[in-house]
Amino acid sequence: MNPPIMTDMRSEYSKTLIELGRENPNIVVLGADTTDSLKTSGFGKIFPNRFFNVGIAEANLVSLSAGLAASGKISFASTYAIFLPGRAVDQIRNGIAYPSPGNKKGLNVKLVVSHGGLSVGPDGGSHQQIEDIAIMRVIPNFRVFIPADTFAVSKLTRLMANEYGPFYMRMARSNTPVVHSESQDFQIGKGITIRDGSDCTIAACGITVRMALEAAESLQQEGISCRVLDMFSVKPIDAELLEKAARETGGIVTCEEHNILGGMGSAVAESVSERYPVPIKRIGAQDMFGESARDNEISLLLEKHGITSFNMAKQVKEIRSRKL
Amino acid sequence: MKPCNREMGLNYYQIKKNVLRARKLVIKATNSAGSGHPGGSFSMAEILGCLFYKHLQYDPKNPTWDDRDRLILSKGHAAPGLFSNMAVAGYFPESELETLRKFGSKLQGHPDLKCPGVEFCGGSLGTGLSYSVGVALAAKIDGKNHHIYTIMGDGETDEGQVWEAAMTAAKYKVDNITAFLDRNFIQQDSYTEKIMPLDEKLEGDDISEMWKDASRWKTGDKWRSFGWNVIEIDGHRIEQINSAITKANSTKGIPSIIIARTIKGKGVEHMEDNPQWHGKAPDSDVSPIINLELDSQFMIAPSIIAGDMTNLENEVKRCVSGRADYIHLDVMDGQFVPTKTFDHRKIQELRSLTVIPFDSHLMINEPVKHVRDYVEAGSDIITVHVEVCDESSFGEIHDLLKQSQVGVGLAINPDTDLPEWSYKFIPTLDQLIVMSVVPGKSGQKYIEETHGKMIRLNTVLNEHNFSGCIEADGGVTLDNIDSCFVDGARSFVGGSAIIGKQDVRSAIRDFRNQVLKTKRKILLDKANELGGSTLVKKWIGLHVVGEKQEQIKKIAEEAGYL
Repeated sequence: MNPPIMTDMRSEYSKTLIELGRENPNIVVLGADTTDSLKTSGFGKIFPNRFFNVGIAEANLVSLSAGLAASGKISFASTYAIFLPGRAVDQIRNGIAYPSPGNKKGLNVKLVVSHGGLSVGPDGGSHQQIEDIAIMRVIPNFRVFIPADTFAVSKLTRLMANEYGPFYMRMARSNTPVVHSESQDFQIGKGITIRDGSDCTIAACGITVRMALEAAESLQQEGISCRVLDMFSVKPIDAELLEKAARETGGIVTCEEHNILGGMGSAVAESVSERYPVPIKRIGAQDMFGESARDNEISLLLEKHGITSFNMAKQVKEIRSRKL
Repeated sequence: MKPCNREMGLNYYQIKKNVLRARKLVIKATNSAGSGHPGGSFSMAEILGCLFYKHLQYDPKNPTWDDRDRLILSKGHAAPGLFSNMAVAGYFPESELETLRKFGSKLQGHPDLKCPGVEFCGGSLGTGLSYSVGVALAAKIDGKNHHIYTIMGDGETDEGQVWEAAMTAAKYKVDNITAFLDRNFIQQDSYTEKIMPLDEKLEGDDISEMWKDASRWKTGDKWRSFGWNVIEIDGHRIEQINSAITKANSTKGIPSIIIARTIKGKGVEHMEDNPQWHGKAPDSDVSPIINLELDSQFMIAPSIIAGDMTNLENEVKRCVSGRADYIHLDVMDGQFVPTKTFDHRKIQELRSLTVIPFDSHLMINEPVKHVRDYVEAGSDIITVHVEVCDESSFGEIHDLLKQSQVGVGLAINPDTDLPEWSYKFIPTLDQLIVMSVVPGKSGQKYIEETHGKMIRLNTVLNEHNFSGCIEADGGVTLDNIDSCFVDGARSFVGGSAIIGKQDVRSAIRDFRNQVLKTKRKILLDKANELGGSTLVKKWIGLHVVGEKQEQIKKIAEEAGYL
């Protein structure tokens, strides 16, 4: 494979917000003392009346976003992953997901975080949010996105602005490899078959999509045809696409920078086991916390948790031997 | 378009009447549900009354009307209080309150958007102020003029998020919020000052101690230091709430909070100041007694002409510090009665001293010619005599007063009965003064025949759906106030018996205690009638705070109920 083009999700998010802000006067953006880091401060410079920095007060951030949304605004509230689901889950549940005006479900708030997963790196285990997918996907009315690259970030940000209701979107801290093309279409609840294959499937999300492609490439050398799915829409999950993969390839390896309990892998397993059970292997943090790793050591940290293309390829082979 | 807004608000008595109606609905609803929170519903009852029936702009037929004011009940457990007022205000039929907390109801255990008109899903405490700031900022972005009212509980402000929101509101200068702190001193476990002191730590068990010493109140300082405009009031006094809202809403550049000192369970003796009634429903057998108790609320109104006529300003101040419910102003013109006291100009002067309600009793000829002056002078209730009115002139007076949000009163002299022309006004009359002396001067003796007259009068009033307040005026003393209460009077004018005393406050307290004793007896009668000594004992047993139980037990023993 060619060396990846690396781009910054936060810059893309910020750029898209500004475009949306120009198009729609109801877009408001909120932050909690991380607006330079999230780059949402750019929106604030252009639209000072629609930008609110509430300081280090995440509970307040969430409830305030809800109040604005209840009054017809489209709230984008952003900070680090560890401080939103990790800290303000009550405000998210009771303040955003639960209130349902008229026939609508939940309030029109988009929680967009960066610094998801282990790849946060040097800040250490206290800042590596590996539980957020689990937390967010069990809350009714919430939809959960894990974009793999900046094309996904841009399109999903736009999609969330146009689609009523609560969303959670998790971005990575570091630059991420481009895996999609500009023409790629993103729909709620629709996974993307990013590489076809017939012998096995790897379901990935976020930074692991590129790794999955690399794994598939190396498996190809060994004569194994591996399908790769970008399951960016963790909730709703694309049950049809997964069933098809199960039927056609007979086994699924999942990989995410999240606890294997409750994450994307769990969502895949839940869906497949109900519709067409096949062997599944979940790669991710094995119910243990992360730790500090400098930027050039993040690959080592991920490797410690088995989050590598090498391990994915290994698990694919392992699963093939267990096929029903 | 809307029945209740700033232009069309109700008068003092009408607000009180709706507050009473809402309290009764809280009892009905929580009893039917078998659970719920009457205590915190009652501590904020008058606050909601002033909002719903005077200040709040809304349209119950169009609950999503864009320009409505937003009422955000952050202390969501007081949902029965909110729903009851919404029913009274016309959002849904009162009968629907019986579905509270039941399967399939839109009246959830905590306020929910499932119920049209509810603005905020409450229940998780400490989040409502942040939400309100969001709503307020949205209004600012959109250039809307509607106002946001947020009601918080005191225990709720243990939550750190409240202070996050407080800082945010100050930072963004959200002056379109008026917050209320329902400072009832009780949270679920116990008194706030024991669980997490907001003022000063409470020593001993008597929460009423906290009311007596303003130097111990620190809550206001907290909010002031967070950059808020703080207004501190007695949260059960309608005139203080109204005045505070007006002041808060006109304060620009900073957010305002009204710290309302209240009594949890206010209105029902055994619930008052009793942490047990934070979240418990009344039983079916005691509910009728509670309803009777709510109907038995009464007011004491000193008449200042019994004092120093050369210094009425001072008499007004004595009444205010003596905690009178309102002040009775006897206006005499020297024609309808032989004596002359003062006119509207004096009332206007006195008005600037206080917000306490002024009950202007016009003993003047041709009141229809002068009544507007008394409205403009700042009267809250105006009473005219039937002897100098007819159907047409009183009709004019009645309409003017209602339009001006002033209570409408009629008075009859000892030798007068209600004339037939007045019957059509009875249903909308706020007050009926039954004179028990010949008006004209202070210090006369109560005319005993009044009792007999009251019996006849009550029949007429019942026939014509009277729902106002009967005021006993003339010679009311500690010796006869209880029989006046039994006759049906619910407000009592005290002349020399109050104002003539050195210590007005203790004179008023004596009046209250005397009526309270009678009221307790009537409630025991009711308990005995409904359930014999078993219910009497149960009723007594409910009164666990302070010395109430012993006192009520004594009354029951004297009545032979035990």
